[in-house]
Amino acid sequence: MSTTIKIRNLNQYYGKKQALKDISLTIETGMFGLLGRNGAGKTTLMKVIATLLLRSEGEVFVCERSTQNPKRVREIVGYLPQDFSMYPNMTVYEAMDYLGVLSGLGKAERRERIPRLLEKVNLNNDRRKKVKALSGGMKRRLGIAQAILHDPKVLIVDEPTAGLDPEERVRFRNLLCEIAENRIVILSTHIVGDIEATCEDIAVLDEGSMLYRGTVSDLIAMTEGKVYSAEISKRELEILKKDYVVTSMLTLGNNVMARFLAEERPFESAKLCEAGVEDAYMYLMQTGRGR
Amino acid sequence: MERYLQIEKVNLKYNVPLHILICVLLLLVSPLLMGVENLKAEDTAKVLEVYAALMGIILLPPVFLPEQDRDIRDLVYTKRMNGGSVYMVRLLGNVLILAALLGVYVGILLHNGCEFPAGKYFLGTFAEMLFMGGLGLCFYGLCDNLVIGYMAPIVYYIAALGGGPRRLGVFYPFSMMKGSYTEKAWLAAGALALAGAGILFRCRRK
Amino acid sequence: MAAQLFLKECKQTARSLVYWLIILALLFNFTTQLGDMEIDKKPEPGQKSYGKMKSRDSELNMKSTLGKLTEEYWRESYTTYPIGFYKHVTLNEADDKKIGGILNEAAGIGSHEAAEKAVEAWYAAQKESKGLGSEDDPVYMEPLQVEPAEGLSAGRYAELMDEADKILGGGSNYTKENRENGVEIPMTYEDALAQYDMLIEKDRLTGGYARLFADYMVIFLGILPVFLSVTRGLRDRRSMMQELIYTRRCSSFTIMASRYLAMVAMLTIPALILSLVPLSKCMVYARTAGIAVDMLAFVKYVFGWLVPTIMAVTGVGMFFTELTDTAAAVLVQGVWWFTAVFCGMDSLRGGSYGWNLVPRHNTNMNWQGFNDGFSQLLANRIVYAAAGLVLMALTAFIYTQKRKGRLQIRGKIFANRKGKSEV
Repeated sequence: MSTTIKIRNLNQYYGKKQALKDISLTIETGMFGLLGRNGAGKTTLMKVIATLLLRSEGEVFVCERSTQNPKRVREIVGYLPQDFSMYPNMTVYEAMDYLGVLSGLGKAERRERIPRLLEKVNLNNDRRKKVKALSGGMKRRLGIAQAILHDPKVLIVDEPTAGLDPEERVRFRNLLCEIAENRIVILSTHIVGDIEATCEDIAVLDEGSMLYRGTVSDLIAMTEGKVYSAEISKRELEILKKDYVVTSMLTLGNNVMARFLAEERPFESAKLCEAGVEDAYMYLMQTGRGR
Repeated sequence: MERYLQIEKVNLKYNVPLHILICVLLLLVSPLLMGVENLKAEDTAKVLEVYAALMGIILLPPVFLPEQDRDIRDLVYTKRMNGGSVYMVRLLGNVLILAALLGVYVGILLHNGCEFPAGKYFLGTFAEMLFMGGLGLCFYGLCDNLVIGYMAPIVYYIAALGGGPRRLGVFYPFSMMKGSYTEKAWLAAGALALAGAGILFRCRRK
Repeated sequence: MAAQLFLKECKQTARSLVYWLIILALLFNFTTQLGDMEIDKKPEPGQKSYGKMKSRDSELNMKSTLGKLTEEYWRESYTTYPIGFYKHVTLNEADDKKIGGILNEAAGIGSHEAAEKAVEAWYAAQKESKGLGSEDDPVYMEPLQVEPAEGLSAGRYAELMDEADKILGGGSNYTKENRENGVEIPMTYEDALAQYDMLIEKDRLTGGYARLFADYMVIFLGILPVFLSVTRGLRDRRSMMQELIYTRRCSSFTIMASRYLAMVAMLTIPALILSLVPLSKCMVYARTAGIAVDMLAFVKYVFGWLVPTIMAVTGVGMFFTELTDTAAAVLVQGVWWFTAVFCGMDSLRGGSYGWNLVPRHNTNMNWQGFNDGFSQLLANRIVYAAAGLVLMALTAFIYTQKRKGRLQIRGKIFANRKGKSEV
């Protein structure tokens, strides 16, 4: 069984609204990033793969198993939704144990695996804590632990770093990378930094369509020679914003160091810069929308 | 004042229409189930105390429902107007709706030739309704669980049906049927205490 | 997997507040209704009264029923109890004529004048034989009895009375139930002894008390389980755990069946435990009276009488909660409970169990009635147990759909459609 997700001509509708438009995609082992604005269709796509939504049109195969047969797919998929929690009056261990039973794990298996996973996500000391007493970051880590409890081939995490403090975020990314060593980990985010740090392979969604599919370096390469920076006054910044996409700013006293996208050098003082993922993403969103 | 009216307007628009509809249905089907014409006083009391008063259980406990979600609750509680006043306004609104529904129903019974002291029976039934609703609010507030908010008055109601005045003493809800009225004062006082306690519990909960 | 899940669900139930409140309610009900229950002693000859019993004399019952019809027809006013509430019925001319026709065929009384005559003659005769009495010692007037028309067969009589009941809208004095149980007569020593013997021989004491126990418990168990299953159903959503469970490989049927069975089991346990109290009372009495009791009677009645109701009510709670994601099941079950209990009010003594969700038998006696109504009761209980299972299966079906993203009432699409602003 090959660890691959194949999506062919996927269309997804909510009533009349089309949430996904003709998505075709192949995902291989490793970290895979899904980027896009809020409402671009990332969660919908992930839910289709996780069998939480029956696909409207097209084909989706997870490790050669069709999502039309949810039970078979659920055996090999772990899912961590954006908003989730667990029964508040259960302890961390109990919650894991409960979900382990639902995943069909035997008693011995659970006893062996749960402490190991809690150790991995650094929650073993809190195993007797009630779920309601966990902080946001701890809850996320518990979320990951439950998602890989049954050792799935595919792990799907929806906006995992939203709401985490910077330290937790870094730790969380590292954890995901570790997990992705022999699995597919699909990660959705609108925080470009997450992708930069973890994924080589990405897809960018916009209004249900796939805007980009490829590696992060290719995406950056597309933007090479189109990123400039200039030190300008705050008044000039307003004018600049009208004509160009400003990707970042740094305030320097009365002036501003602005980083922006342009097809060619717009004025003398603008300096060409090396493109980053953020720039590339902004460039893509701008050109992709046909502006 | 305008702000309070606004709260009630939202309440009327989003929170209670379904509950009011159920109450109206309850009253509308009553002629199919029981006599509502030419009743003697005790029989009228039965219709009011055992049947119409159930509206109190339907309409009062959901006062806390819109903030069931913890996030919404946090959001509302950070606003300038405190949660307690929001609940008070809503509760008052629902109480007035109850009074109106009961008033219309009492009017219909009178119109149908039932012989009973209308004002007295109205107030008596009203007190019982508020007591049952208040019981629900109190338990809802205490346990943070709507289902328990319904369960408490229903258990009380069943206990009254089965156990009679023997066990419930001054809080026996069906006293008018038996020709006694003093219980109603206790019920009214109890209703106030319970509803107040409910709101207090609710606001204390984070 | 199913067995482990079942145990986990039991544990969860045991830790939920609503479960303990239900137990509290059951305990309260039990102590107020049955706490001071005493075992009936063997009747002795020469007692002042032995209580009353329903007349089993079909001729007397028929005469009394016709008497009631004559009197109500004469007054042009009928009393009915469609669901236990008093209802006064006055008929229009056409229906009044129909009743007249029925009375004419059944008792030869064809007009209001003839009815008036019959009523007046009856009470005049009573006054004559009993005197007028005084305020301190009022005379008891026997209710009117009317001789049936000559050659009226039992079958035709039943048909006519059923028709009269239909005209009156049900719940009248002329239903089969009321025709057969409408007349109370004082019990003699022999009657009382026969009843007692029945209790000892047929029910072996505990059977009768187990029935009484079941009668009191079933009223509460006709609604309380819904609170447990609604709370359970809403818990996943409330604790935002739905999607974590949806994506597990465990089948919807296993999930729902384990929840269902756990709740039913956990609700049965308190009933079983409470039954130990009357059982021990029976045993104490039996030892002094030298009776061999049926030790398992209470267990039989808990499972035979109470569990089917628990199953049905739990099923209603699960089904409507999963379907609507609200506490609507409380309303549904509330309505069902209300009608069931009030409809059962006129058959408290047992024997006519019909299809009532809460079959009543409010006495430790009347084994005969129980025996007569047994096949009906059995059918009733099987139907409700099955209904509970069917509802559970339907819940699993809905759950499967929701896991695939269908029927998501509170999902994003619907949520966006509705106004979300709430103060």
